[in-house]
Amino acid sequence: MIAHPVARARTYVLVWLGLICLLVVTLASAYVPLGSLNSAINLAIAVAKALLVAFFFMHLRSAHYMLRIAATAGFFWLAILIGLSLTDFAVRY
Amino acid sequence: MASVVIVARQFDDAAQQRTASDLGMWVFLATEILFFGVLFVAYTATRLHDPQAFAIASRLTNVTLGSINTAVLLTSSLMMALAVRATKLGLRRVALGFLCATAVLGIVFLAIKFTEYYLDYAGHLVPVLDFAHSGPHAGGVENFFYLYFFMTGLHSVHMIAGIVVVTVLAVMTARRRFTPDYFTPVELGGLYWHLVDIVWIFLYPLLYLVSRT
Repeated sequence: MIAHPVARARTYVLVWLGLICLLVVTLASAYVPLGSLNSAINLAIAVAKALLVAFFFMHLRSAHYMLRIAATAGFFWLAILIGLSLTDFAVRY
Repeated sequence: MASVVIVARQFDDAAQQRTASDLGMWVFLATEILFFGVLFVAYTATRLHDPQAFAIASRLTNVTLGSINTAVLLTSSLMMALAVRATKLGLRRVALGFLCATAVLGIVFLAIKFTEYYLDYAGHLVPVLDFAHSGPHAGGVENFFYLYFFMTGLHSVHMIAGIVVVTVLAVMTARRRFTPDYFTPVELGGLYWHLVDIVWIFLYPLLYLVSRT
């Protein structure tokens, strides 16, 4: 039998607690009038939550480098898709 | 119980075979990211066109149910992660319990989401079927709701697929199909579930929290 490394259950629960805290922060921050900063905070928190899920729940933290490259590639092409589209839309209005 | 892993002849060993499966799954997930990605681009373009309409429309969404649903989905991801962990450790009954919890929370998410759809319908917010909103930004508000229903609808379809996958994994677990040496389907099902969770993590602020002040 091969022993597969597994994270401690406590780690997963702590990550979940972090995710719930971030949810509360993002919801509460939406009710504080900060202008365009509101959307920036919301997006930054969403990215933080996504990274927590990807690194811990999806095991990217300890994954083979090939898997990390494949995962990064998906978001890299998404950045190109959004970035190049915005070269038009962001300057149009 | 003897646990023998069948290694296809193109692989050196079970570990390499497993990495190849994971890689295939991540490539599929990359296509899913771009699949949803075009909708996020459409959202961005439409929002830049009329930001005030999105602020008005976002206040018409049900932030209470949306926030509860986010918590439900984050919790389901924890259950899934613990199910994968238990499977790797050979804790069959524990894994079965966590898989069932994942599926149940997925169903709870959909029940809340469809309740929300009903409330949206009662509030005349469904484009094509019954949309009634007046004011200078009515067109932009309707555009927001086109995107709201398309994006959350596509997400719900992924949730249904995820629940079917997790249910099948639960049945396979009950039938002792997985061992500490062979757990690839659970691992890949988990990756899919977490990605659907990540999509919602971005949908939540973009649809419910645009402007609450």
